[in-house]
Amino acid sequence: MPILEVKNIKKTFENTEVLKGISFDLEEGQTMSIIGSSGSGKTTLLRILNFLETPDEGTISVRGQQIFDGASPVTNPEQLRKNRLHFGLVFQQFNLFPQYTALENVTLAPLMEADASQKDKIIEHGKELLAQMGLSDRMDNYPHQLSGGQQQRVAIARALALEPDILCFDEPTSALDPELTGEVLRVIRELASRHTTMIIVTHEMSFARDVADIALFMDNGIILEQGPAKELISNPKEERTKQFLSSLNS
Amino acid sequence: MFFTVTSSLLVGFLETLKLFFLTQVFALPLGLLICFGSMSKAKIIRYPIRFIIWVVRGTPLMLQLLIIYYGPGIFLGVNVWGSETSGRFIAALVAFVFNYACYFSEIYRGGIQSIPVGQYEAGKVLGMTDKQIFFKVILLQLVKRIVPPISNEIITLVKDTSLARVIAVYEIIWNGQAFIKSNGIIWPLFFTGAFYLIFSGLLTVLFDRIEKKLSYFR
Repeated sequence: MPILEVKNIKKTFENTEVLKGISFDLEEGQTMSIIGSSGSGKTTLLRILNFLETPDEGTISVRGQQIFDGASPVTNPEQLRKNRLHFGLVFQQFNLFPQYTALENVTLAPLMEADASQKDKIIEHGKELLAQMGLSDRMDNYPHQLSGGQQQRVAIARALALEPDILCFDEPTSALDPELTGEVLRVIRELASRHTTMIIVTHEMSFARDVADIALFMDNGIILEQGPAKELISNPKEERTKQFLSSLNS
Repeated sequence: MFFTVTSSLLVGFLETLKLFFLTQVFALPLGLLICFGSMSKAKIIRYPIRFIIWVVRGTPLMLQLLIIYYGPGIFLGVNVWGSETSGRFIAALVAFVFNYACYFSEIYRGGIQSIPVGQYEAGKVLGMTDKQIFFKVILLQLVKRIVPPISNEIITLVKDTSLARVIAVYEIIWNGQAFIKSNGIIWPLFFTGAFYLIFSGLLTVLFDRIEKKLSYFR
């Protein structure tokens, strides 16, 4: 059974149909990359999975359990909050909380959920995650004292701290200087090698090809082509996909 | 003479301080209420509140004092404030609270709108409730942003309290001016400046400290 099943998701913003029926499955432990030009609906799709937008139609199921149905969308805030916890999201702009240190950013949300007896465990776990991100010596720094790449790695640790079923990345390196993208991509690659289930929206084609198991090419609100990442990016079948990929190389 | 003048001015300054502190106690929270009203999704709430803010910010505070004090008597035929000193003080307080609450509400609104949406969204995807997001994530960032403009307004308020004398609230300027008539001397009026200076100096130091305390993050 796939860990994530998305069926016929549609979304319209003020007369513009941004998603025109998106369906795909994702297996546990797999990494999926979503590629496509700006405005193709990639980011909207990620925001829908994280319940930041509500689709007009379609269903979303995690581990066989339906958590969203467009016919009767969830409005109860508590249920919405629980649904969100299936997913983690790493934003393009990091969105760290400026008044908290790196470690506090990672542990803030888990500490709110837990009772006092789990406090030490959560902090230990937060430190481990930051160490995994290569930030052992940066735990007590505030976001403004960190480089963009370091901030994004803190954001990844923060998302992992809640142990989501599926971790989503929304163009995680687009806001970074080119020399800082490598350190973030390395961390994501490392997560992929440990079979973290991930969905990555990215413009880094070689990264999308190497790190992902499967790839989706989105165009104008639909999935135009999907398949094994290496095949799709190296040998696209659709004319539009070829056109998109070659426009990046030129 | 110096002693007589100083003690009279001190009495007046006490009245000034009373007006100053009470205005803040009421205007700071009322401003938040007005701010929420001015940001309300319901047009029926938002538009009237924005209109009131426009009127209050667009007319002189001195005029507002006069209208609030004399208005009810002239237009409704009832002198709601009574004829005693305490009634005039309350009328002045109402005018100040209303005026400053409107200014504060705009500062709050600017502060709230300047917090990036990403902060709320980051809280949401981490499974926080709206309440947790506001208190644990937004509030301190908001405070940091509004301290400088609020402190500006508060220091302006120290000096604005002198306007209350147009409806005969016996604050420090009134008391200073009284010496012109009674003793034919003008220096007590000039001397009142020292009181304002010292007090606003203290406030400046206080606000600098708060700003410094919040400077550990950006």
